[in-house]
Amino acid sequence: MSAHQHAEGLMSHEPEKVTMEGRNKILGFWLFLGAETVLFGTLFSAFVALRHNVGDGPKASELFELPTVFAATMILLFSSLMSVFAVQAMHRHQVKAMIGWLVATVVLGLGFLGLEITEFTTYVSEGHKMNTSAFSSSFYTLVGFHGAHVAFGVLWITLLILQILKKGLTVVTAPKIYVSAIYWHFIDVVWVFIFTVVYLMGKVAA
Amino acid sequence: MSDNHSSVSEGQSRHHKVEGPRKHIVAFVMSLALTLIAFAAVASGEINTQFTYIILVCMAIMQVFVQLAFWMHMKDRGHAFPIIGIAFGVIVVFTMVIMASYWVWW
Repeated sequence: MSAHQHAEGLMSHEPEKVTMEGRNKILGFWLFLGAETVLFGTLFSAFVALRHNVGDGPKASELFELPTVFAATMILLFSSLMSVFAVQAMHRHQVKAMIGWLVATVVLGLGFLGLEITEFTTYVSEGHKMNTSAFSSSFYTLVGFHGAHVAFGVLWITLLILQILKKGLTVVTAPKIYVSAIYWHFIDVVWVFIFTVVYLMGKVAA
Repeated sequence: MSDNHSSVSEGQSRHHKVEGPRKHIVAFVMSLALTLIAFAAVASGEINTQFTYIILVCMAIMQVFVQLAFWMHMKDRGHAFPIIGIAFGVIVVFTMVIMASYWVWW
């Protein structure tokens, strides 16, 4: 009786859940996100344990600049909202609108990456390098891993846009869009912890 | 039951009420507010360190729940296994963090 049982394929308002393969893909992706949680959790615990070991390098409170972090946070939050709208457009079968929202997602993701690259370059020029201290190593590993996830997401969603343009929205391509949106939100969720634990708490601990 | 086949679109629109953009915009505004409170708590510099930490952790946890529930559709039906999947990860992480902090601080 659930909406998933409709056999009309794309006529379903949730094309990502029409096929068994699509549903399995979503479930499998959640299990992957469970593993990703572990990955980031261990990086966080390493960072929290090592954040005061600054050696001769700059301290977190001297290094971080709130306006930059705030801008990055806003960009990622808006980007996440764009991908919500993309999935909603998909549920209404508005392919053009969906592609538009996905492009907006990617553009904001690129903006975030640009900001992060500038930020890291500034830090390096201030003497905060990968090998400066335990704090700097754990900082670059944690934040860099998140940045790498953003970069992967940007690449992935770009390829999905190209695939949609080529193949259209089908029961095969719909689960990919849905899953990439889940991924993008997850990246934003990880960033919530990064700006809280790394930047804001680092700024407070004088 | 009788209109199961005759009015698929009606069934869809009934479902769409649940999937409207409003709740996502509400989730966005909530995320925005929680973020602003966290940044303001630090930027003001008038709240003592301990209390700022508590505010920050509370804001982060609330925002994560908002995003998981609304944006990642976790509050929707049929999400038992995803919840188990992510909860498993969270359990491993907490064990790991407790272990690491025990190892480092005591």
